[in-house]
Amino acid sequence: MATEEAFPESLKTLPQAPVSEPDFLHVTKGFKSWAFTLDHKRIGMMYLFGILFSLLLGGTFALLIRTELWAPGRTIVGPDTYNQFFTLHGAVMVFLVIIPGIPAALGNIIMPIQLGAPDVAFPRLNLASFYLWCSGATLLIFTIPFGGLDTGWTFYTPYSLETKTAVMVATFGVFLLGFSSIFTGLNFLVTIHKFRPQGMGWFQLPLNIWALYGTAVMQVLATPVLGITVLLLTVERLGHIGIFDPTMGGDPVLFQHFFWFYSHPAVYIMIIPGMGVVSELISVYARKPIFGYRFVAYSSLSLALLSFLVWGHHMFVSGQSRLANMVFSALTFTVAIPSAIKIFNWVATLYKADIRLKTGMIYGLSFLLLFTIGGLTGLFLGVLSVDVHLHDTYFVVAHFHYVMMGSTLVAFLGALHHWWPKFTGRMYNETVGRSCALGVFFGFNLTFLPQFVMGARGMPRRYWDYDPQYQIFHQLSTIGAFILGFSIFISVVSLLTSLKRGKIAPRNPWGGSTLEWQAPTPPTLYNFEKPPIVHELYNYDDLVEVEPDRWERITDAPEYQAEAKKEAH
Amino acid sequence: MSDAKHDDHGGHDHGDDHGHGHGSQSRFIQHHYDDAQHQFDSGKFGIWLFLAQEVLFFSALFVAYVLYRVHHPEIYSYAHKWLDVKYGATNTAVLIFSSLTAAWAVRAAQLGQRRLLILCLATTIVCACAFLCIKYVEYHHKWKEQALFGHLFDPCVTPGGEELITKKNHCDGTKSSVDYDMAADKPTSGCFEISKLDLDPNRVGIQADCQVTEVQISKDSKGKDVEGASRPITDRCDDELVDLLEKIEGGGHAGDVPTHETAGAESADEKAHHQKFPCWRPSYQPAVCQDLTDSAKRAQGQGSKPTAGILVEYGDDEVHRDVKIKATCKAPATVAPVADPMADKANVLAEGVKAVDPAREISTHEEFELESLGPPPEHTSMFLTIYFAMTGLHGIHVFVGIIVFIWLLRRAIRGDFTPDYFGPVDFSALYWHIVDLIWIFLFPLLYLIH
Repeated sequence: MATEEAFPESLKTLPQAPVSEPDFLHVTKGFKSWAFTLDHKRIGMMYLFGILFSLLLGGTFALLIRTELWAPGRTIVGPDTYNQFFTLHGAVMVFLVIIPGIPAALGNIIMPIQLGAPDVAFPRLNLASFYLWCSGATLLIFTIPFGGLDTGWTFYTPYSLETKTAVMVATFGVFLLGFSSIFTGLNFLVTIHKFRPQGMGWFQLPLNIWALYGTAVMQVLATPVLGITVLLLTVERLGHIGIFDPTMGGDPVLFQHFFWFYSHPAVYIMIIPGMGVVSELISVYARKPIFGYRFVAYSSLSLALLSFLVWGHHMFVSGQSRLANMVFSALTFTVAIPSAIKIFNWVATLYKADIRLKTGMIYGLSFLLLFTIGGLTGLFLGVLSVDVHLHDTYFVVAHFHYVMMGSTLVAFLGALHHWWPKFTGRMYNETVGRSCALGVFFGFNLTFLPQFVMGARGMPRRYWDYDPQYQIFHQLSTIGAFILGFSIFISVVSLLTSLKRGKIAPRNPWGGSTLEWQAPTPPTLYNFEKPPIVHELYNYDDLVEVEPDRWERITDAPEYQAEAKKEAH
Repeated sequence: MSDAKHDDHGGHDHGDDHGHGHGSQSRFIQHHYDDAQHQFDSGKFGIWLFLAQEVLFFSALFVAYVLYRVHHPEIYSYAHKWLDVKYGATNTAVLIFSSLTAAWAVRAAQLGQRRLLILCLATTIVCACAFLCIKYVEYHHKWKEQALFGHLFDPCVTPGGEELITKKNHCDGTKSSVDYDMAADKPTSGCFEISKLDLDPNRVGIQADCQVTEVQISKDSKGKDVEGASRPITDRCDDELVDLLEKIEGGGHAGDVPTHETAGAESADEKAHHQKFPCWRPSYQPAVCQDLTDSAKRAQGQGSKPTAGILVEYGDDEVHRDVKIKATCKAPATVAPVADPMADKANVLAEGVKAVDPAREISTHEEFELESLGPPPEHTSMFLTIYFAMTGLHGIHVFVGIIVFIWLLRRAIRGDFTPDYFGPVDFSALYWHIVDLIWIFLFPLLYLIH
């Protein structure tokens, strides 16, 4: 491997950071310079902190739910409060954390740099998206003092029309969040189309970009349907227009169709960016190009396409026609094909690879395992007869947590650690990072594996009370949830403390070959001090680790450059 | 919306300001673009994506339209007659013309013809405002007739112009006899058993013999209602319905329709009398009083006595007073009581017997005419919900368009647009075309259905 070869000593003395320009964190100062910034990295950073705060909030609700379920009957709160806990946990986690997590926060920071672009196509729109997100998040959180929310994150009618909780505030918040997501997707699509540098064709794009591209397509085409649906629900609450109200001839099942027409693609809006990130992690830390690059890229797109065709599998027991059920069930199985292609290609990439178990890679490997479990249990639910038994049980809860949390959130944490040195300029504590990654993996499985068992045995989801036979599973799950929450909390605290105490990060700490590792650390205002050179994608042959956590390209060595010059003459 | 955001020139004095980049080109080319063409291409792609988003944003409403139309075609064929094709057609023409001027504005901007550009933009704005004004007139009519959505649905008249009993007594010129308790959503007084009134919706015009009086109401010291002087309302109003029926049935059946006065036989005295006193007509909204019956009995499937009210019509010059309508009706011996007019109608239809026993087959058109005079079918408000949701959302888009075009006009007057920087005009015009296109779908779907 490249690292074992001799490399020019002069590489060690290459300048570590550009001296000519300040980095984006220090280029201007003051509150206004952040509040009105058009820099994608600063906007991404603000998203990141908003999302971490929401994660803390959603996680707190999760732990409150798990505490309540420690024993049958009342443990800490009554049933009404419990309903509000799980609703807010779901709404906060889905709309505020997982959907914007990778694209809007990390994607915003990393995507233009990976493209070698100075910014996203529409910086103003980017800032507007962020403020839409802030407004939506504020409204959603403000439901807590204004009557709470007890509909579940799905806002199913007709209950959401009758409940006395603050549904209108929440749905209007979701409407704003939807448009934040649409504008981010639109921005990314234009950026990826129009800002690729010379020499970077579609098939030289990092897989992360492919994934963000597929995500953006779904954001632009699916989210408007959620927008109009929650808008109608808001107006329905406001003026009783009757469109979803059966007493006035409306159809509540129509709401479910509209809702899932968005919310099924939304599941892929959540997972595909995770897959893109994991492709990067696995390639970098396994020091190998991704096996079957084109298949992984195409599978992102085909997942995006298929995601529009399977929404009915959420409604097998909602009075859909038998034919529709069968068609949706059959289409649901096709989703397994691109997902499996990805898994097989990642595993093939690991074969005989030089694997480095950095924190990012531990999260990447966790993702492989958790997503496999999450994906395979999804097939159980796609089978009509099995779904009738498993519908609305903890089996479903465990399934979608394996996909949405076990996969997406784990990928998010992996990506956060992977790119943290790049955009903060500081190295995090590797030991803490690794232990927390293991804690997340162990805690997660302890939380949700028992839920598969109790779900299959008939424990319904969203119930405040349960039979004593399920208690052991609930208790295991609660213990796991606390391990999980603790691990995430410590890893975030560790990252934040690194901002002050961390070692100064070099330009390329992990030996990545994509363009962001050519940019200064942290990047300057327009990302690069000179136009980046597009090398062969995922080719690690001429990258060498000159000292722990610092990689350089052999071709950048002065000797090499001098020789190249001589040859040119 | 999006086009308004990304193409504004840099106005902040921060370090990461994106304006003012390329010396030789327009000062509006942002520096993170390679050149004017790059900025224009990016903007164009962006606005097309935004339009795709718009199509999907409206799509759910179109799906709802189709779904409810398939499930309840009768609602659509009944209620669309509340809409006035004249207004809709005028608005269509106005919007198509404004699309032309918007497209022309793009051409003018490309060629650097500033005066023409300003003229085109101004015309577009005027057309858009005209559209909204006409829409306002239409909405105002609906409001006056209370042909509204959801809980507000309480129409004064059928699409054919027949008056209906309303819950809120909102309608000008007439006063319903029914006092409606909005909180409890049921009538509190003025309802009579349908069997006594013989309000057979299938045999319009044949009515029970009713003595109707108008009673003056005043408040006593305790704030209680006290009945004062009363005067009889003995005349039924002349009914277009009866005329129509006579026309359809022909001379042979005209005699079967007993009206209190026969056309042409009115004396001068009677005419003066009619101008002085209000007349009354029966309501054709049989469901209005059903809630009066005992719910426990109704649950057992018995004791349900649907009732209807008396609608009293005042002349336009009649001053509104605090009055109460009292009616005592005798059931005519010859006609069997009808338990539930809706159920009866269903039976008639099931047996294939025409509602009006005609001498000849009535045409589809006449059938529609008759239908539009009758009571609204169940859930008619759904059509109006969809009408208001679709046209309302479209109207908001027109409003946003006006703001965008005013912004363009300001910039055009300032001379911002040059042949190498006209992106905002192009993108806004594209947005305007989609707004126009959506209306071109809405117009036939809402106004021109049969």
